[in-house]
Amino acid sequence: MTRTMPRPVNSSGKVEPRRSDHDVDVVVIGGGVNGTGVARDASMRGLRVALLERNDLAFGASGNNSGLIHGGPRYMLNDPNVTAASCRDSGYIQRIAPHMLHRVPFLMPVENKGRAKIMFALIDAYFEAYDRYQPLKRGKKHAMLTAEEMQTLEPGLRGNIVGGISFDEWGIDGARLCAANAIDAGERGARILVGCTMERIERREDTGEVIAVHYRDRRTGKTGKLRTGTVINATGAWAPITASLGRIAPTRARVRPGKGIHIVYDRRLLNYAVAAQTIDDRQIFVAPWQNMTIVGTTDDDFYGDLDEVRATSEEVRYLVQGVARVFPQIHTARAIGTYAGVRPTLYAYGPHEDQLSREHQIIDHAAHDAPGVYSMIGGKLASYRIFAEEMTDILAARFDIGARCATHERPLPGGDKPIDAIELAARMEIDPVAARRLVFRHGSRSLQIAERVQDRPREAATVCTCEPVIEAEVRHVVRTEWARSVADVSRRTRLGLGACGGMRCAARCGQIVAQELDLSPREGLQQAAHFLARQAQRRAVALGPEQAQQEALAIAAVRAELGVDVRDLDEGEAA
Amino acid sequence: MSRRVLILGAGAAGLSAAFAARNSGADVVLVSAGAGASSLGGGAVDDVPWEERMHAARVLGSPIELHALPAEVAAFSNALGIWDLPDRAPPPFVATIAGRLRPSRGRDKGLLDLGALHGKRVLLPRAPRAGWDADAIAATLSDDPLARRTGLRFVAIDAPVLRFADEARISDGDLAARHDDPARIAWLGERLREAITTDARVHPDEPASAVLLGSWLGARAARAAELSERIGLPVGEALVGVGSAAGLRFDAAQKKFLDALGVQRIGDRAVSLVRDGDRLLLTRARDTAKIAADAAVIAMGGVAGGGIVYDPPEHDAGEDLPARGAIPFALSIDAPVALALGRGPLDVVASMHGPELDQIAWPKDAAPSALEAVGVHAPGGRAAPGIFVAGDVLAARPRTLLEAVASGLRAGRAAAQPA
Ligand SMILES: Cc1cc2nc3c(=O)[nH]c(=O)nc-3n(C[C@H](O)[C@H](O)[C@H](O)COP(=O)(O)OP(=O)(O)OC[C@H]3O[C@@H](n4cnc5c(N)ncnc54)[C@H](O)[C@@H]3O)c2cc1C
Ligand SMILES: Cc1cc2nc3c(=O)[nH]c(=O)nc-3n(C[C@H](O)[C@H](O)[C@H](O)COP(=O)(O)OP(=O)(O)OC[C@H]3O[C@@H](n4cnc5c(N)ncnc54)[C@H](O)[C@@H]3O)c2cc1C
Repeated sequence: MTRTMPRPVNSSGKVEPRRSDHDVDVVVIGGGVNGTGVARDASMRGLRVALLERNDLAFGASGNNSGLIHGGPRYMLNDPNVTAASCRDSGYIQRIAPHMLHRVPFLMPVENKGRAKIMFALIDAYFEAYDRYQPLKRGKKHAMLTAEEMQTLEPGLRGNIVGGISFDEWGIDGARLCAANAIDAGERGARILVGCTMERIERREDTGEVIAVHYRDRRTGKTGKLRTGTVINATGAWAPITASLGRIAPTRARVRPGKGIHIVYDRRLLNYAVAAQTIDDRQIFVAPWQNMTIVGTTDDDFYGDLDEVRATSEEVRYLVQGVARVFPQIHTARAIGTYAGVRPTLYAYGPHEDQLSREHQIIDHAAHDAPGVYSMIGGKLASYRIFAEEMTDILAARFDIGARCATHERPLPGGDKPIDAIELAARMEIDPVAARRLVFRHGSRSLQIAERVQDRPREAATVCTCEPVIEAEVRHVVRTEWARSVADVSRRTRLGLGACGGMRCAARCGQIVAQELDLSPREGLQQAAHFLARQAQRRAVALGPEQAQQEALAIAAVRAELGVDVRDLDEGEAA
Repeated sequence: MSRRVLILGAGAAGLSAAFAARNSGADVVLVSAGAGASSLGGGAVDDVPWEERMHAARVLGSPIELHALPAEVAAFSNALGIWDLPDRAPPPFVATIAGRLRPSRGRDKGLLDLGALHGKRVLLPRAPRAGWDADAIAATLSDDPLARRTGLRFVAIDAPVLRFADEARISDGDLAARHDDPARIAWLGERLREAITTDARVHPDEPASAVLLGSWLGARAARAAELSERIGLPVGEALVGVGSAAGLRFDAAQKKFLDALGVQRIGDRAVSLVRDGDRLLLTRARDTAKIAADAAVIAMGGVAGGGIVYDPPEHDAGEDLPARGAIPFALSIDAPVALALGRGPLDVVASMHGPELDQIAWPKDAAPSALEAVGVHAPGGRAAPGIFVAGDVLAARPRTLLEAVASGLRAGRAAAQPA
């Protein structure tokens, strides 16, 4: 579905794979779905790959999205290709990673206003068209429902509606998807360097060809260099910055940075996802998500610091007000957090934010005198795999290797066989809920965690009771998924994201991380304090009565046990 | 006829207000809705927040100072019977479960006081409990700046401190309750003695100087002293920030304390406090009979304790704007008092939703969070004629136990005086 690229004037030429003066064939920059996806595909096809991730896997848009691998019904009119390709790839993702998916049935109420009847009929016809794509992703056909039927399905629904439509989508945990791709790439020989930021792409003065990529480990400050001839910029909204670090004009890898936020509620408030309109007629939703509920999302141009994207209270209120029009209970529900990400939307001048297509594009920077550098721009979770395939096809041609893409057939780590959570719970002597979460995140790899517990029974201990997360899983993600901090563990396991805000588990998690990575225990504590403060800020913008009391309690508890001002831990060495 | 003083809240502030009012000859009725911060805290007893003290000591380059306590505070503490507030330097130090060493002005008697140790080697028995990874805690404590400065070391040892299989999983509180049984303490003493003997054989030159355990040593009263006597070494608990056995012991002591004091105790939620001539009238949630009093002390705790609620106006909004722009904080009862976030009363803000909390909901460096600073505006502890305020519910005062006690004593005494 790549928009057949305007054939670049001069495309990057061919190179030998495994050149002895190259450390790796390809350096992928960015550990989101696109970066990890291409790292997996390229490794699978026999290329030597290194992946640099500045923050953490899934730190950007890939870990902060709506998690819907939908067919994108809203692109159907402007861009039916997007819908078809997304649906087909949604089907593939279900095949290769069934464990990390969950079904999200949607209800779309139709408001009784203006020409509601006509609207309803139009929407019906629209979804009838969408039904054609549903078999591609094992989805159910849509149904037209009366107002009463809507009410029966979702008693919390309010507002003046003539009826509604149901349709079927799938949800996925984007952070798990990135981890799974990275693990697979790693197991196939890729070097995954998390916490390492690309600082410079060294290129020949004369031909502009790539010589090496320079990077810095942000924790230790150590610098490193990877000799290579090929670089893939898969840095999402960071793409123009990344390009500029390779002496390519940032405008050559331009994206429209569209910030979107979500609010997280403490439990499942409804059985169906419900679509709603905002005051400016944008479509938003409230959806059950794993054991919680999320409300999303906004779309605003963002030109701030991409490492520090946070929801604001204005954005929260905007969403809550929109959802309240059909689901007023949202006002009294308990928000326990927010998250924010920036979409790397293809750039186009002018159109209203929502009308921009979410299509993706590969840019060969040979056209900009930088042969060997490619940028992957745009894309969606739903189409990450096909995007990676298209990118890797270009690499295969460049390296002249025949290998075909197999990422749609070979299961991602953990996706090879179903695991019975109840049985696992009995075997590990843990809570069935904990086991179910474990299987959701790790699929058959949860057996590795079970093995750890068999050897060391105390690791069955629960670290985070809200999620829940057991000690063995924390150790597992540090050892096998490149987690290096409390925040990284949280991204992979959802530790500390529940109502208690991490007050009971952050310090413990810091102890474990420090043990596993041989850091000073003090550093583990600092990580915990850092994580607690950061998460608190994310909760504060959506604070309600119960959560405020919990927050005050958490502050007092953290003060008592750890301190909120841990600067003295820095001075430990000097003292 | 003696004055009738009504006290709302049975935390440290409410109890000390009752103590002072009774000692001043008043009749006291106390209404409390249940557990507050005092029964949730970890057992460290501070006057000034410990981080502030540590910071001051660091800046001044001087040892941490200990302020002498007013005699009345000491008298209250003695009557309550669960705290130790020593008048000596160095001040008490406690070890936290997160792995920090921190000073405190005093402590629940169950916590191990590291300030009074003679040696440098503290043993932590291993136990397969979720919150107790003795090795990790020992390593973290040994790495604390204070431990490094003083040479204090923490060492995990093998000692079977759990007696029954279920004890790997039950809560700290339940395990603590099992140690209320003297036979269990005797059993634990035996186990620890064996472990210490073994340890002494391996490390003859470095005898153990104390034993640190989880928050397990008694739910009705601290059993640490008894255990120490049995093994001949200081033994005590590590501090658990929230939901510890020390909190349970506060609850147990509270009831005994109020009975001994001769205070009428009512378990109910207060709803409103209004002036009616020269009396105050209290309405409650469950019992419709109003309670009349000459003066009242509001000691209902802060946001954590339930005295102050945060209720942004959009919370009960329909599908449109909130019905009214309002300050989102309120006292949890109707009463003729004003709230403050800092020193002055809370101002009207130019938003339908109240002030933005983004930057102030969590403390930053030394600055307290808005959720800690908000409270009743009551200069000198008096909010309105006959209405006194004490403890966490007071605006812009540190959230500590001894601050609650000091303000409680002051309020109780004032309430007992004829206007
Ligand atoms: C609010 C929101 C909702 C969305 N909802 C959906 C949805 O429901 N369904 C769907 O399919 N898609 C959705 N998307 C889109 C989807 O999430 C993104 O398109 C996709 O995740 C982009 O992945 P990426 O790998 O290109 O970028 P990212 O995930 O942003 O990854 C870029 C990475 O590059 C790293 N990086 C940056 N600079 C450097 C450097 N110099 N060196 C090393 N690393 C660097 C960053 O740290 C980051 O981790 C949503 C996006 C948002 C923001
Ligand atoms: C987790 C935690 C850890 C802490 N750690 C420390 C520490 O290490 N050192 C330290 O010095 N301090 C610590 N504190 C602070 C200390 O506990 C408080 O400052 C102190 O307990 C405040 O006492 P109080 O009596 O003012 O309020 P609380 O103890 O909160 O008591 C409030 C009382 O009012 C009652 N109440 C509330 N609303 C109503 C109503 N409407 N009607 C009737 N009754 C009502 C409650 O039921 C409760 O009995 C900690 C606090 C917490 C929460």
